[in-house]
Amino acid sequence: MKIKLLVIPALFASLAGCEMKNETEKKPVEVERPAPVFVSTYEPLASNEFVIKNATVLTGTGERLDAASVWVKGGKVQAVGQSVGAPQEVTYIDAKGKWVTPGIIDVHSHLGVYPSPSHEANADGNEMTDPNTAQVWAEHAVWTQDPGFNLARAGGVTSLQILPGSANLFGGRGVTLKNIPSITMQGMKFPDAPHALKMACGENPKRVYGGKKRAPMTRMGNVAGYRKAWIEAAAYKAKWDKYYEAAENGEEKDPPKRDLKLETLKEVLEGKVQIHNHCYRAEEMAIMIDVAKEFGYEISTFHHAVEAYKIADVLAENNICAAMWADWWGFKHEAYDSVKENVAMVEKAKGCAVVHSDSGIGIQHLNQEAAKAMAAGNKKGLSLKAKDAIKWITFNAAKSIGIEDKVGSLESGKMADLVIWNQNPFSVYAKAEKVYIDGALVFDLMDNSKNAVSDFELGITNPEGERL
Amino acid sequence: MKIKQTAKPIKRIAVALVTLSTSIFSIGLQAESYLFKNATLHTATAKGSLKNADLLVRDGKIAQIGIDLTATDGVKVVNAKGKHVTPGFINASTNLGLVEIGAVSSTVDASTKKLGASFDISAAVNFRSTLIPQNRINGLTRAVVMPRFGKSLFAGQGAVIALHSTEKGLLKSKAVQLARYGTSGASHAGGSRAAALAMLDKALSEAKYLRANQAKFTPGIKYQFSQSLPDLKALFPVLERKIPLVITANRADDIVNIIGLSKKHKFKLIISGAKEGWLVADQIAAAKVPVVMDPMRNLPGFDSLAVRLDGAARMYQAGVKLIFVGGGSHNAYLARQSAGNAVAYGVPHAVAIEAMTINPAEVFGISNYGQLEIGMEADVVVWDGDPLEVTSNAEFVLIQGQNQPMVSRATRLRDRYWELKGNQEQAFTK
Repeated sequence: MKIKLLVIPALFASLAGCEMKNETEKKPVEVERPAPVFVSTYEPLASNEFVIKNATVLTGTGERLDAASVWVKGGKVQAVGQSVGAPQEVTYIDAKGKWVTPGIIDVHSHLGVYPSPSHEANADGNEMTDPNTAQVWAEHAVWTQDPGFNLARAGGVTSLQILPGSANLFGGRGVTLKNIPSITMQGMKFPDAPHALKMACGENPKRVYGGKKRAPMTRMGNVAGYRKAWIEAAAYKAKWDKYYEAAENGEEKDPPKRDLKLETLKEVLEGKVQIHNHCYRAEEMAIMIDVAKEFGYEISTFHHAVEAYKIADVLAENNICAAMWADWWGFKHEAYDSVKENVAMVEKAKGCAVVHSDSGIGIQHLNQEAAKAMAAGNKKGLSLKAKDAIKWITFNAAKSIGIEDKVGSLESGKMADLVIWNQNPFSVYAKAEKVYIDGALVFDLMDNSKNAVSDFELGITNPEGERL
Repeated sequence: MKIKQTAKPIKRIAVALVTLSTSIFSIGLQAESYLFKNATLHTATAKGSLKNADLLVRDGKIAQIGIDLTATDGVKVVNAKGKHVTPGFINASTNLGLVEIGAVSSTVDASTKKLGASFDISAAVNFRSTLIPQNRINGLTRAVVMPRFGKSLFAGQGAVIALHSTEKGLLKSKAVQLARYGTSGASHAGGSRAAALAMLDKALSEAKYLRANQAKFTPGIKYQFSQSLPDLKALFPVLERKIPLVITANRADDIVNIIGLSKKHKFKLIISGAKEGWLVADQIAAAKVPVVMDPMRNLPGFDSLAVRLDGAARMYQAGVKLIFVGGGSHNAYLARQSAGNAVAYGVPHAVAIEAMTINPAEVFGISNYGQLEIGMEADVVVWDGDPLEVTSNAEFVLIQGQNQPMVSRATRLRDRYWELKGNQEQAFTK
């Protein structure tokens, strides 16, 4: 019996092979592949070549260099080190007593979709009409004139991922932006950064929909909802794969009907869109890891991850980042088991620890949030240094959102997104003194008249930032 | 007759219980003596900071401050070289003890739809809440517990607590009255802040009339007042200037109008919020109105378009007395991070410390607390660095002279999971 069973599929396989061979002789049919949409029009601002010298440099790769230089040329980091061999005639900025870090990256922001002033007409982050709204894109709702972008820039933030909210199991696509003033969203859109798909565990979806007496009403319903969606997504992907395969084989067929919701999920299964999963509790994160395994996708990051410390080893093994607050807790039951050492404990387990804001105020002080997380770990006996903590808001954040090949560290060839701090950034008194994006000065603490003012602020605050 | 007979023994039991609890109380209060050596003392007095100074705590009070103090028998010496000592901080705007989990309404006792100004939250304060130790080990030793807004423009009466884990922490109930103005007041007053102002004015005028004509009004009967009799009576201490009235206001003109109201009714006003306060700082200072604010809250709203990070510094320069808050209730201790940010934007360090100690003590009438000064109750915190710095930790906390264990639910969870042992073993790590 066993042998027979083995033989039959083998026969089928060979037949199929024959057929394929015959068909490949046909000329492939040309079909239209979906072109990128809402494409980035970001252009770096004009920049000069310059060298920052005598600085304490935190590279974002885990190194601290004292009395070091950073050479920026053509908007890129040219070299970093004690001696960089830059020509004499370029501008030299003496940063004695100052610190230089990569630009801060926030992986969890709602600037533009939940902007200031905060009111109902501006609340564009949660499409609370269905538990699966994978078809909506945060970038379609970004209000570029949100004054929060400027405030975040003054806090050293050079890139940020704007996510939909967590009301839905699938909240929609997130977008990564350069924190640059722009009339259009496309003008801020980080070139070639992958899209995110926001997923949410736990209390929020079940509260929002359970309250309306519809699914999901429980965490069981949450998981059933994810699995149902992935089954549909796999079928949708198979339909399109079959269509393209047929075309390859010279068969002309009508394309399947596009479905924006399933298209987003399909792109996750293809590894093009990254999963950013709002999830607090340890056992729910473990369930989500198994859901991902069942359907063959990867989770980039668990956001909020209040209980990451309980499964820090599992997260590290599965190469999943944990994006965390330093100390928020207790606003929901799933945030009750918060510990101030959460970030440090993920770092201790050699995981990818990220400090995120989820707040228009917190994003202005991510250096302070990382500082608190570092101090908590050290009080318990670790010896975390500034060179380690900076990774939580730079390199690890870049890794979480898939742009670590372009930003997140001060390494030769990377975009020159960097901050000169007036002192050790892990102090409550530290301020970003100069912020550069692609080598262009975009914020200067010493000369507010040169800093960007949003349309909203114009006529409300004068260039010195005062009320008219 | 029968009732009387049964009433007697009950009374006796009650007396016995009181005696018992009093004796437990006094045992609990038998505080040890401590000598803190060679610290930087942030005194929150005109003396400012004292370097390499010693501080002696005896009988729950600060007994001596000086250089080279010597310990007598039984005094525990705390080597605080390189450390900083402050009075325990107070957050003057919390719901501590009224909220365990924000989104679980059965654990939230902060507001009511049944009462207005007469709502007194003190009976609802849960001193065994996990929020109390978590804040205590982070250097917060006192709090003003405020109600949240319910059915009225008046939220009700707040209390002053010390962060003990038993009812002895209730230091003063009915310590403050809270009302709303600005956007929140407007939405309650049918849509306009002008109506909210008129309604606040009316309530205070009615309270004044009632106070002068109490004999005319019988409790239990409904009169044509805008508030119930108990709600109006709860405003008497405000009119008598026995307790302050905190009113929320952010827009510059809202602040000016509320100051006008306080002049008319001669109550002790505290402005809460004051995001545009810097625009009218001179008027706030001239009216001697203190301000409760979180200096980190700088996102503009339509009632706070001019908010800015150096708003606190500008108000300080104009002579406004500041009280710094922040961190909500769960992290009420983070008022010190907000204070640190105020310093980064121009408030002097010593003033920022005062804004979390002696200023709220004075404004909310909390006696014998808020300074490192002889005779003050010993709320003393030793810090491993600058107390306003985000990388500093509280190391040693005294509340009313009592040494506090540096343990909270969060530290227990941390310790359980510090070494990961996998599914089965973790639950037995205590």
